[in-house]
Amino acid sequence: MLASTASFINATGGTNGDNPTELTRSDVDDVIRTLADNNAYTISANIRGEDRFGTAPVRDAYFALASTKLIGDLENVQGFIAKAQYPSPMEALREEWCSISNLRFLVSSIGSVSVGASNLGADVYNVFNVGMEAFAVIEQDGYSSQFLYRPPIYDGPLALNASVGYKMAQVPRITNDAWIINLRTTLAA
Amino acid sequence: MDNTIIQQGRFTSTGEAVELQIRSDVDWMRVINYTIADADQTAAIGVEYYWQRGMAADTGISYLKSNAAAAANLTNAMASGGFTLLDTSDSPLGPINATITAISAAAPPVSTNTGVNALSAGDVVRLTNVAGAQQLGGLDFTVGNATLSDTTFSLDYMPLIVAGTTGSWRKVNFQPQFYPRHRAISSISAAQSAVVIMTVTHGFTVGQEVKLVVPAAYGMVQADSLQGKITAINTATNSITLDIDSSAFTAFAFPVSAIVPFSPALVVPVGQAVEGTTSNLLDDATINTSFLGMKLAAGTASPAGANANVIYWVAGKSYSVSNA
Repeated sequence: MLASTASFINATGGTNGDNPTELTRSDVDDVIRTLADNNAYTISANIRGEDRFGTAPVRDAYFALASTKLIGDLENVQGFIAKAQYPSPMEALREEWCSISNLRFLVSSIGSVSVGASNLGADVYNVFNVGMEAFAVIEQDGYSSQFLYRPPIYDGPLALNASVGYKMAQVPRITNDAWIINLRTTLAA
Repeated sequence: MDNTIIQQGRFTSTGEAVELQIRSDVDWMRVINYTIADADQTAAIGVEYYWQRGMAADTGISYLKSNAAAAANLTNAMASGGFTLLDTSDSPLGPINATITAISAAAPPVSTNTGVNALSAGDVVRLTNVAGAQQLGGLDFTVGNATLSDTTFSLDYMPLIVAGTTGSWRKVNFQPQFYPRHRAISSISAAQSAVVIMTVTHGFTVGQEVKLVVPAAYGMVQADSLQGKITAINTATNSITLDIDSSAFTAFAFPVSAIVPFSPALVVPVGQAVEGTTSNLLDDATINTSFLGMKLAAGTASPAGANANVIYWVAGKSYSVSNA
């Protein structure tokens, strides 16, 4: 839903010769500036600095939802702070990878990818940068999803096979388009 | 037939291919051309068609009817013009064709390709790496309404550009999953009520609220982030008219090749058509338009039939499928 309807910008600060380019600090700054201009609230609070070697304070941040394919590129962006370098790593989320300026990156193996969508035909990775309450999932009929299992005795006269399935009754909605930006990026050459 | 889910239906052919939405994925399908079955046929002609999972795309088996000819009542394996499984959330792109030899400096620009492009008017095409016209790379375009042949297709809603040379294209088989969708802008007029033209057939309706995203590369920066209501649409020009006064804005100019990389200008749907306090607030809710189904090819020897043929169909799901 976010890939189909949310507004986006292309990363343009990189040097891989494509459009969009790979992710750079200037693109991160563009996103933060735009969200802040639109009065989006950050989602996470500051993590206060502590007197520990190799750590750095983490700013209050918007969340950036990205593909795990971007992990290498993220580490090359100026201002990269791995979650192991947080003063209190216990405050990082399990799926969190890093913080860059006022963005905290959450990565997933099923992060959004637009196949062959760059100028040179490369895959484009959609990084959804969201402020607080930018989008929501509305549950229908009192549930969001159901996992259904029918044991063999109920699934056929010879009780040979079981079946499983799931159904969902929910609607994802962007509540304020100004508080979400899709930063499209390719991988570094 | 324990555990089989069956769906059935009927349609009258328009002579064009038909896409049927079928629940739970389909493992087999039978189609009967009632019009052909209802009359004597002097030449062998398709009357019934069958497909099951494991057959290649666009194939199937046809049964021919001919009451008078010697070649009557034949069973025929179809090499093409048959059944094709659809999953619109999967494989939305066709293969890359590095066949573009030129894109003209015209309005609309016309792309010339080697070989046969096999496109139809209204198809959506994504261009990549067009020498001399890199600004078109990665963008989608509705093509073929103005000019279409085996070796040419027009970028229907694009303004005049500097000519490009070699490049690649691929067909975008299905729309993005959710409606309403953001669309790239090809032009915005400077007028009391701004008219916005988009590169792909937009699908918007009067009353919807949209936001304009206009990066500096396009010139008309005053329009950036403005929100407006659609007051009119024009399907011929693929434009929407907004209640935004752009008459004093800097002229909109589609970027040239040397500007790459840049972000495209966009129309972003942000609100629903609420004309009164009693309107349905969800009438423009974001809708998942994906579906599973079957595409039936058209023609006298194909399951979707010829124009005005009445077609009956039934589809089912097998308990298990074994294609060793």
